[in-house]
Amino acid sequence: MALWREARQSAAARFEEPDYAALLDSVRGIRWPARSAVRGGIPGAHTSRMRGASAEFTEYRPYRQGDDLRRIDWKLFARSNRAYIRLSNDRAILPTTIVLDASASMAFPVGSLGKWTLGAQAAVALAAVARNSADPVGLVVARENDLIQLPPRTRQSVINEMVRAVQDTRPSGNDPLTPAFDAAARMSGRIVIVSDFLGEGDDLLAAASRAVVAGKEVHALHVIAPEEIDPPRETVLVSDPERPDIRRPLTGDARDAYLLAFGAWRDRVAHEWSESGVAYSVAIVGEEAPDHLVRRFTSPRGIAATA
Amino acid sequence: MTFLAPGFFIGALAVAAAVVALHFIVTRQPRAGVLPTARFVPDLPATATARATRPSDLPLMLLRVLLVLAAGAGLAKPIIKPSRGVEARVILADVSRSVQDTGALNDSVRAYSRSHDVVIAFDSSARPVAADSVSHLRSARSRGNLSAALIAALRAGSGLRDRADSVELVIVSPFASEEIDAATDSIRALWPGRARLVTVRANELATSAKPSLEIRAQQGDPLAVTVAQAKSNTDPTGLITRSGSSTEEIPGRATIEWPVNERPRGAVARAARDTIGGLTAHGALVVASFERRWAYPPDSIRDAEIVARWIDGEPAAIEFPGASSCTRSVAIPVASAGDLVIRRDFIRFVGALSGDCISTTSAQPVDAPQLARLAGNGGLVPREAFPPRGDVTSDLAPWLIGLAAVLAIVELFVRRRRALEVRSVSARSSRAEKRAA
Repeated sequence: MALWREARQSAAARFEEPDYAALLDSVRGIRWPARSAVRGGIPGAHTSRMRGASAEFTEYRPYRQGDDLRRIDWKLFARSNRAYIRLSNDRAILPTTIVLDASASMAFPVGSLGKWTLGAQAAVALAAVARNSADPVGLVVARENDLIQLPPRTRQSVINEMVRAVQDTRPSGNDPLTPAFDAAARMSGRIVIVSDFLGEGDDLLAAASRAVVAGKEVHALHVIAPEEIDPPRETVLVSDPERPDIRRPLTGDARDAYLLAFGAWRDRVAHEWSESGVAYSVAIVGEEAPDHLVRRFTSPRGIAATA
Repeated sequence: MTFLAPGFFIGALAVAAAVVALHFIVTRQPRAGVLPTARFVPDLPATATARATRPSDLPLMLLRVLLVLAAGAGLAKPIIKPSRGVEARVILADVSRSVQDTGALNDSVRAYSRSHDVVIAFDSSARPVAADSVSHLRSARSRGNLSAALIAALRAGSGLRDRADSVELVIVSPFASEEIDAATDSIRALWPGRARLVTVRANELATSAKPSLEIRAQQGDPLAVTVAQAKSNTDPTGLITRSGSSTEEIPGRATIEWPVNERPRGAVARAARDTIGGLTAHGALVVASFERRWAYPPDSIRDAEIVARWIDGEPAAIEFPGASSCTRSVAIPVASAGDLVIRRDFIRFVGALSGDCISTTSAQPVDAPQLARLAGNGGLVPREAFPPRGDVTSDLAPWLIGLAAVLAIVELFVRRRRALEVRSVSARSSRAEKRAA
């Protein structure tokens, strides 16, 4: 009991809530354009596939039966005696939902919860960036036996709601992320998965592939702790927080085999997700500031380039 | 202190060293930690072997080392060596019936014995005498046997091997001829040195004059014919009585109670009469058919000498020693029919049966050559001449084995308690990790 209390006090002392206000300030001004033309709808910041009657002229098209008579360019009709429709590029919003993994594996390292902190910061920052582009933003947090769903909205308070949601959440359990992704895909045209992808089977990749095929924009942010890439060299009996039955000694020889296996798994995940059309990025805890991560993640060059 | 089987103790030392080494090589569950990617660690047993700078579980290690050493020492049979002197003596004190004056014997033994010497009293058998009993030796009625005494001296010499640099043999005896047998010279030759012979006075019976063989029987007794023949052929001195016992006692002369039909002295009736084909006494063999009616039970033979045997080995006649003579009981039927009583072999047999008492013949002193052979030549025997004794037992060994058994039980309980403690700590640690995670 004393050992447990000591561990709990140590963990509480080291974990610090991130300063979301500073983070939101640092990502102000970042734009996150859609990777391709979005479907038309409510006017927004993203190029739409629809051609409409906005002020930004693109081309003329001969009038066809059924076209709105109000869109005929009467001046051109007068000069050419032919009826043309004036076309212009429409711009539309892109509803964006962040799917945040709150499984037990995200609560690592145990003291600082670095993976969870970085994931939550990235989720809030990306939502803020999307919100700055007038996109509706929502959040789905997949936590133990529960889903926190904030549907995509454009109102000012949605970011605060997200901050509260992630602050009220402590990662635990090992529920799959696929239901959360499906819920997000029903609500949004852009889905961002923030996860460590541990314990996720092929279901999540299949769901993401279906969303991509359906014309949705899917992003994946793979959160990795440096302790996972370079575990301690001393012999430790490591246990998987999501699967208590896994308790294995990490010795010198086992460490080498672990590094090979973990590296191969990361390569496979990056390859499979990139191949399926998902914009896959890796975020390593402590390697870069959250706003830098968001800039890299949202820039056209950064997409699918850092895996 | 030394070990009779030092190999066991050396082996125990090796095992103890291995036990200590194993306590430095710790096989246990290492420090526990959380790693979400633990599934990529090879699936090995959840224990790891590591070398520790300090032995794990010091009390248990000491307990195990003590257990192994106690068991090894117990099997190695430790004995405590006494301090070694320059010279020791093995004194053979003759307490047989050949000794006339026990006081003189005690004086001689006391004169030669010292605190670290070994005194062995012998008559028909030899046994060591405790130091406080050296002055209280008593002569027995049984015949002396120097061969048995010399064998005991050899064993004592091996026992003195660790207590003296050289050993001397002292024999205090009248050296009667009956104490010498065919093996005496051979056994004496095994003692690789001279012996100091201290002669004490022999029993005077040896020189007593005795009348010739006679028989007291009813007229017509067939045995009288045999006695008459035996008197002319040999020189027997016994008195054969066919009924009752004789009160006449001549020193050294044997009174032979040879009843016609009554129960012989010391004999009991056989459960079933049988017939046997012969008997022997002192080399005289009779081959004839005899009906056996009597038998000598072991209680009768205990204080008696067997002077004649049936050919199957059973006693046919025994001799009870007396103060100055002896009485023989004969359980041999003499048939009135047939030629048995006039056969030469039976006459020789009666003559042999009617000889002097064994105690009478025993007191004849051995001749000078025999004495010279007993004295031998050479000097004191060095300790290396005696082989180490193989029958030395260790008094400590049972205690050490018992200690090892007790330690084994204690080790079992300590080990179980430690295992429970480790399991409890591991479970608490695991729960704490889960809750902290």
